[in-house]
Amino acid sequence: MQWITDIEAGKQLCLHCRKLHPLSVHRCDRCGSEVHQRIPHSIAITWSLAIAAIIFLIPANLLPMMVVKSIAGEDAGTIMDGVIYFLEHGEAGIGIVIFAASIFVPFFKLTVLLYLLLNIHLNRSHRAKFGLKLYRIIHFIGKWSMLDIFVVALMVGLVQFKNLATIVTGPAAIAFMLAVVMTMFATEHFDPRLLFDTELKKRKHKNESNEGNTHV
Amino acid sequence: MIVKETACKECGVIVNIPKKINFSQYRCPRCNALLYRRGQPFSYIITMAVTALLLFVPLTFLPILDLDIMGLQSSSTLFEALWMVYKDGFYFIAFVAMMTGLLIPVIMLILLLFILVPLKHGYRPEKVSLYYRLYEKMSDWGMAEVYLISIIVSMVKLHGMGTLHIGLGFYMFIFFFITFYITTVWFNPDDIWLDDAVDN
Repeated sequence: MQWITDIEAGKQLCLHCRKLHPLSVHRCDRCGSEVHQRIPHSIAITWSLAIAAIIFLIPANLLPMMVVKSIAGEDAGTIMDGVIYFLEHGEAGIGIVIFAASIFVPFFKLTVLLYLLLNIHLNRSHRAKFGLKLYRIIHFIGKWSMLDIFVVALMVGLVQFKNLATIVTGPAAIAFMLAVVMTMFATEHFDPRLLFDTELKKRKHKNESNEGNTHV
Repeated sequence: MIVKETACKECGVIVNIPKKINFSQYRCPRCNALLYRRGQPFSYIITMAVTALLLFVPLTFLPILDLDIMGLQSSSTLFEALWMVYKDGFYFIAFVAMMTGLLIPVIMLILLLFILVPLKHGYRPEKVSLYYRLYEKMSDWGMAEVYLISIIVSMVKLHGMGTLHIGLGFYMFIFFFITFYITTVWFNPDDIWLDDAVDN
């Protein structure tokens, strides 16, 4: 079935209140937000935020997330150390939760974002629906990578026993949080409609070349 | 049949939603994105939002966890935990965690009341579009449920260190999240733009 998209119909959708406007409108008369046919500079912003997030993930995984100071000495653990600790101490369930939320999800999200961007650059229109499914998944799980930040905050807040044991926030926390926030902004700035526009581009291209042939 | 013309926000296809809808939701025929979900009456949403806000009040002073190590006691509320991060010098983390985990859900509820209470009483608030725009922007950044699960994770992490008691604040937080979630699900933004919204 042939679908008519907003580009072909010469319309644009207000992303906040879902009102359909003609192209001449720049500000939605219903909710007052700016209206664009596609999110402006979507691809460039998504690229730059994704790259920044990848860079921040390196210190986030190498530096200690929190430092436990006790009579036995100082113990600084990275995210992976925490996962290994739980796997070794028979708490496999919680180890897997932390692994999923703090290591798997951030990498998965960035991989998907890069895959979607490449699909747009390579005009792979037949992958549009699959890409949209992936986009929905990363949009849904986006906030769950913040889990480790909250866990660190709670541990720091609770374990304050002067000389006996204290937990201090580690430098990886800030890098990790920046990576998470940037990935979330990148996902927000990515316009999934661009995945489907590739099909339109192809069709237009085909029509043009057909017309060219008939003239010759 | 009166038809409302709109476009799918995820794949850009033009769709016509029947205006007198007697089904609870409408999905995009091409990509299956949720385009319309029937909302509940404003009075239900207002009640639920007020309940959620009332449940939030005790969260500011009730401890969520008590930790007991060799006779030494330590307890923490949701806010105190983030305050310690602030005192460690990680201002940005404390700020973002405080906003996403606690304040954004509360601000969303307050904005919803600002929109719905006047509509319920028969007039459209002047700044309804501003309130709604803020509400919409924040909706992706409310992370109360992530904070909730993180409490459970830290319980498991801490139980080897000493005796752990779950405080009343934890249960309050669960109820707060449930009522907050129900409020947002019941609210259908389309309803505030209807001409007869003021009588709803």
